[in-house]
Amino acid sequence: MGEIGPLLSQLFHTGRDWAAGHGVPPLGAQILMMAVQVGIIILSISLVPMVLVYAERKVAGFMQGRLGPMEVGPFGILQTLADGIKLIFKEDVIPRGADRWVHIVAPIVACAPAFVCFAPVPFGKGMTLVDLDTSVLFIFAVSGISVIGILMGGWGSGNKFSMLGGLRGAAQAVSYEIPRVLSVVPLLMFYGTQSLRGIAVAQQARWLGVLPKWFIFYPVIGQISFVIFLICSVAETNRTPFDIAEAESELVAGFHTEFGGIKFALFFLAEYAYVFLASAMAVALFFGGGDGVILPGGLIPSWIWFLGKTFMIVFMFLWFRWTFPRMRVDQLMSFCWKFLLPWSFVNIALTGAWILWRAHS
Amino acid sequence: MINLPSIIFYTFSVLAIGMAIVVVTSRNVFHSAMALTGTLGVVAGFFALLGADFLAASQVLIYVGGIMIIMLFVVMLSQQPFDALQRQTNTQWLYGILFAAAVAASLIRSFRDVYRGVAAVATDTVPTSAPIGRLLLGDMLVPFEAVSLVLLAALVGAVVFGQDRKAAK
Repeated sequence: MGEIGPLLSQLFHTGRDWAAGHGVPPLGAQILMMAVQVGIIILSISLVPMVLVYAERKVAGFMQGRLGPMEVGPFGILQTLADGIKLIFKEDVIPRGADRWVHIVAPIVACAPAFVCFAPVPFGKGMTLVDLDTSVLFIFAVSGISVIGILMGGWGSGNKFSMLGGLRGAAQAVSYEIPRVLSVVPLLMFYGTQSLRGIAVAQQARWLGVLPKWFIFYPVIGQISFVIFLICSVAETNRTPFDIAEAESELVAGFHTEFGGIKFALFFLAEYAYVFLASAMAVALFFGGGDGVILPGGLIPSWIWFLGKTFMIVFMFLWFRWTFPRMRVDQLMSFCWKFLLPWSFVNIALTGAWILWRAHS
Repeated sequence: MINLPSIIFYTFSVLAIGMAIVVVTSRNVFHSAMALTGTLGVVAGFFALLGADFLAASQVLIYVGGIMIIMLFVVMLSQQPFDALQRQTNTQWLYGILFAAAVAASLIRSFRDVYRGVAAVATDTVPTSAPIGRLLLGDMLVPFEAVSLVLLAALVGAVVFGQDRKAAK
């Protein structure tokens, strides 16, 4: 009931046949329909940061005992829209000392991969845009390109603080990428696939008919994996307590000091898109994707389950930001290399032992 | 002969060669590094065109997301204002060109007959990661482990040579 995945695919098939029946060559019709699907993804992912910025302000207000935005629209829900319009019409300033082209391209390089990463995400039953066999690797690879955008922003601004922020941000992102990838390796070993959809579907079973067989509920290995993945995801998105790339008290605003208007908005869009992506990945990897609990199956469609769980994880991201103090640069690095990395290796070994035991019993 | 895969292939080729030319001609080291990033990204595109999905993703992950970022790091930390005024060539440019021509000629000679008539674009898109995994941990286990040993030795060597002698004592 309410599953829109099959409906959408039927719609796209009808559209393709209609276009093919009106003189469009079959390949052209196929490309047209792909373009429509890509357009839908890009539009919805552009809307997500607007929702998240509003949520961030409201959660911050809640955590600090205040109201947050209240003036624009009922309960301030139009505040981000107003901010977006303001940012679009702001003057685009390029500092004289800046490297003009690098300064212009940097926000695009930071932002564009964020959209590409959503292609293999299984939003629900039949709602995976491209079911890549290597989707987990693909997401990690493509999201790594954004780091180059941060470096370009830092270098292209011609500003010491931007440069330091860019260097810090890139060092942090590259370091935390390693335990993040390794924290997912146990899942790939356990389910024998790299496809995000395959992993999510494999978790839709029950222990004793009650407890869902999500990876997070597997004793020890599931929890270690999830905690490492969550910590590294927060670090990857350069959010507090790992926001040394833009630490206001030390670096003015880090790599995006010299960016204003729509360029700044693109950096912001990328950050929130990655928060959403990390949450969606966590749901697909550790929480069974669109698998429902408690209520009988099919009462609530899988895409609502998926989005609901995703926003729960997003809330954790926002919660961390307003709870933890910022870490120092050297603490941040030693935490990654001396704590997260060894433990992710231990977890891989434990998972291997588990798989051996499973094969022999 | 004009179909979609070949259009994509030639677009990629032009992009790769164009950006590779920018790498060697640009006066600004940072711009060179950016162009090299683009070239390596397009190489991943070639892998994807050939149906090597695992290789394409690994190429982006390791070259674009890893090695190039370290390279940009080095450029940012070592950049001097007068670097842009230095000459683009040194006294050995002629020998460089000759060497490059020799390598190109031998590559063309050796591959011309093998790949004549072979399509540049894969027609089947069978996932490749599982066969690669079986190969690396099966038939190719010894070479694979030997390569990892070499890389480990290089890593240890880099740390030993990179550390400050005075600070170590």
